[in-house]
Amino acid sequence: MLLTFEKMGAWRWGLGLICALVALFLLLPIVFIIALSFGDSRWLIFPPPGWTLRWYEELFADPRWIESALTSAKIGLIVTVFSVALGLLASIGLVRGRFKGKAVLRTFFLTPMVLPVVILAVALYALFLRIGLSGTLVGFVIAHVVIALPFSIIAISGALETFDPAIEDAAVVCGASPWEARLRVTLPAISHGLFSAAIFSFLISWDEVVIAIFMASPTLQTLPVRIWGTLRQDLTPVIAAASTLLVALTILLMLAAALLRKGKKA
Amino acid sequence: MSSTFALARPRMRKGTGMILPALVLLLAFFVVPVALLLSRSVTEPELGLQNYRELLASGTYAKIFFNTFLVAGLVTLITALLAFPVAWALVIMPRLLAGLLFAIVLLSMWTNLLARTYAWMVLLQQTGLINRTLMQFGLTSEPIPLVNNLTGVTIGMVYIMLPFMVLPIYGVIRKIDPAILQAAALCGATRLQALGRVLLPLAVPGIASGALMVFVMSLGYFVTPALLGGTSNMMLAEMIAQQVQSLVNWGLGGAAAFILLVVTLSLYALQLRLIGEPKGTA
Amino acid sequence: MTAPYLHFQAVRKTYGDVVAADRVDLEVPKGEFMTFLGPSGSGKSTTLYILAGFQEPTSGDIQLGGRSILPVPSHKRNIGMVFQRYTLFPHLSVRENVAFPLRVRRQSQAEITQKVGRALELVRLQEFEERMPAQLSGGQQQRVALARALVYDPPVLLMDEPLSALDKKLREEIQLEIRRIHQETGVTILYVTHDQEEALRLSDRIAVFNAGRIEQVGSGQHLYDQPATRFVADFIGDSAFLSAEIESVQGGQAAMRFPDGTRLGAVPLHGAGAPGQKAELLLRPERIGLSETGSGETAALEVTITDVTFLGSSTDVRAETAWGEGLFVRLPFSDPLSQSVRRGQRLWVSWEANGAHLFAA
Repeated sequence: MLLTFEKMGAWRWGLGLICALVALFLLLPIVFIIALSFGDSRWLIFPPPGWTLRWYEELFADPRWIESALTSAKIGLIVTVFSVALGLLASIGLVRGRFKGKAVLRTFFLTPMVLPVVILAVALYALFLRIGLSGTLVGFVIAHVVIALPFSIIAISGALETFDPAIEDAAVVCGASPWEARLRVTLPAISHGLFSAAIFSFLISWDEVVIAIFMASPTLQTLPVRIWGTLRQDLTPVIAAASTLLVALTILLMLAAALLRKGKKA
Repeated sequence: MSSTFALARPRMRKGTGMILPALVLLLAFFVVPVALLLSRSVTEPELGLQNYRELLASGTYAKIFFNTFLVAGLVTLITALLAFPVAWALVIMPRLLAGLLFAIVLLSMWTNLLARTYAWMVLLQQTGLINRTLMQFGLTSEPIPLVNNLTGVTIGMVYIMLPFMVLPIYGVIRKIDPAILQAAALCGATRLQALGRVLLPLAVPGIASGALMVFVMSLGYFVTPALLGGTSNMMLAEMIAQQVQSLVNWGLGGAAAFILLVVTLSLYALQLRLIGEPKGTA
Repeated sequence: MTAPYLHFQAVRKTYGDVVAADRVDLEVPKGEFMTFLGPSGSGKSTTLYILAGFQEPTSGDIQLGGRSILPVPSHKRNIGMVFQRYTLFPHLSVRENVAFPLRVRRQSQAEITQKVGRALELVRLQEFEERMPAQLSGGQQQRVALARALVYDPPVLLMDEPLSALDKKLREEIQLEIRRIHQETGVTILYVTHDQEEALRLSDRIAVFNAGRIEQVGSGQHLYDQPATRFVADFIGDSAFLSAEIESVQGGQAAMRFPDGTRLGAVPLHGAGAPGQKAELLLRPERIGLSETGSGETAALEVTITDVTFLGSSTDVRAETAWGEGLFVRLPFSDPLSQSVRRGQRLWVSWEANGAHLFAA
């Protein structure tokens, strides 16, 4: 009866306690940075002796923070477009195509996901130094598309696999041109896959640190690089303020995704 | 590209056209650069295996390998111990509680990596919350060094890896029919016996899949060890970055990368063989 | 009947406002094959789950061998159960599945080997010992589940629609197996099903559940011949109901009138009926006959034939009364009319007055 909560007796409390502790462990850092970002102690004393918005003011007063956030957003959006487009094409080929070595190719497409990022970062760093892409926007985008593509392919091909191509044939039989059928039947049917591919791709680029550290130049820095650089100098509460904004962004995205799922079910 | 993929599906037999853009991208910016890096391990500073000899012979590097495997192993073990009860609870708890717990797991997973790591740096420092709480309750008289060492790295990594362990175990337990556990109870099994003889064995595929994923990710992890670890307790990923960036020793960095790559891909192959493709859990 | 072996006493289970089981009273003697029959949601499974310990009753008691089992947790009740879904432990072989109850009881290996062998022999699956559940068919899995439930000699064996996932032919085959096993082991069985044919085929007695209550308990024959309520009459066997009005009541029998004015006297009446009250007359299709003239019969009604279906051993004839209600008659092959009856014909249905039943609305 271990899968029936009501019949677990005292074990319920044991399990509940472990979960409460793990939840505490998972929430602690998040709650902690949010509190620190509003605390007026430069030395990060907790609980803070008083409350202030000073760190947010400092954050917004420094144009370099804004600039790096904009850079991150720009790179993230471009990466999203390419990752979803390439992912869609590759997924169609992988799901519907019939050719030898399809399974091997699929595994190959997913490899960047398992390879330690540091290897790719170092390898691309060397290559980009040679071909002059180091420290450029193009370099950033290429590198991030490489690591975002597997997630895009998983999300889109997952959606495509559950969509019966016979429905598309049915649309054509009903009189739609093949392209019309794709646009009006297939694309809407896999839109949730495209959407999660887009979210994954953006977040991967937005949060990516390792490649960014190698790729960045003094004039082109993403937000993670900026945080990384500051972190290595000192643990100023300004980072807490920046982090809090990032947490808020995460919560917003999660809520949006949850709402979208709910809307889909209704 | 003008061939339809609807009615003309048979013509897709050679339909690699769709795949071409992604394939070209990965060949040019994934396979080629990695291959170039690896080739440098046997060509720099001169042709030969001297880099590998150095890596395997030196005590410094042996310690780095040891640290890496030790931390990855510890992180895998601890996350498995924590994740099993959490995944189990997620399956059986009342909807609202389970939803809340799930949201917390996802929030911790999706929160910016550096934000999380920063929080742990502050929490774990000498004058940090953890140490002051421990001292307040008289559990220790002096601050325990929790950061800039492997303890800090392990704590930070457990935090990051926990969701990657919870999700696959959750996926497996969710598919177990509760009636099987009812049958075990009617057969006379106590809760402990049902746990040990039925629930745990049935959850093994999820635990194994999560463990492999967490172990592989931990082996090559860079950010957390770099920020929470000390310079005297380096791990492999950090060492590769350092060789290349600070010491400009591409040969040795490439050799270390090659070893990491071989270990990672072998474990990935093992996972594919045993469990199948990883699901999108980023 | 000796002192009840298994005794349900006013068992009641509610979920908020929903009553799942309401005052279930039942006595089951040792060794009986008792079936709970009823539509889904009628409380039969709930009653079984309470006995198994998966649910607690809101009130009432269940006694086994004179002692209440409610304070005893499931794993100590020593009850055997075969579930509707396949519940073999997927990671254990057939042998280890059957051995499981003995292992958790810490019995010796010698004992385990012997008892497992015997149990598998009982369900005739000895040669499948080494197989994993996934390598078995559905019927085989349920037979292994049966062996697992019997291996520790439980005082009661519960079966919750164990054959519902199987196709008809296999189901009948395993029903025979279950009967044989009941005879060989003498175990008391509580069997839940919504299939009346299965209930009739297997049981010593049947408890008919409806809306959380037991409507009637008795042998299949008894339920068929003497249904206590319209629900039982409808659920057991084939039936047609014609509307009627009660004219007078005397000693459990009533005189009645059909809507067209046809009168019948001395029909057995069920339920409290008063003159002037609406009622329904039960007619069993195999207990009524067709003839070209209505004369000489105690009860007869003129009808129009609307459909004739030849079924080999019998012919089903659909007919309509003068006021437009439908009924059907099952003519045996031996009845000469079964060859000649045609649609649109006007014929008489007839029956023995005491063979029909009137249910007060």
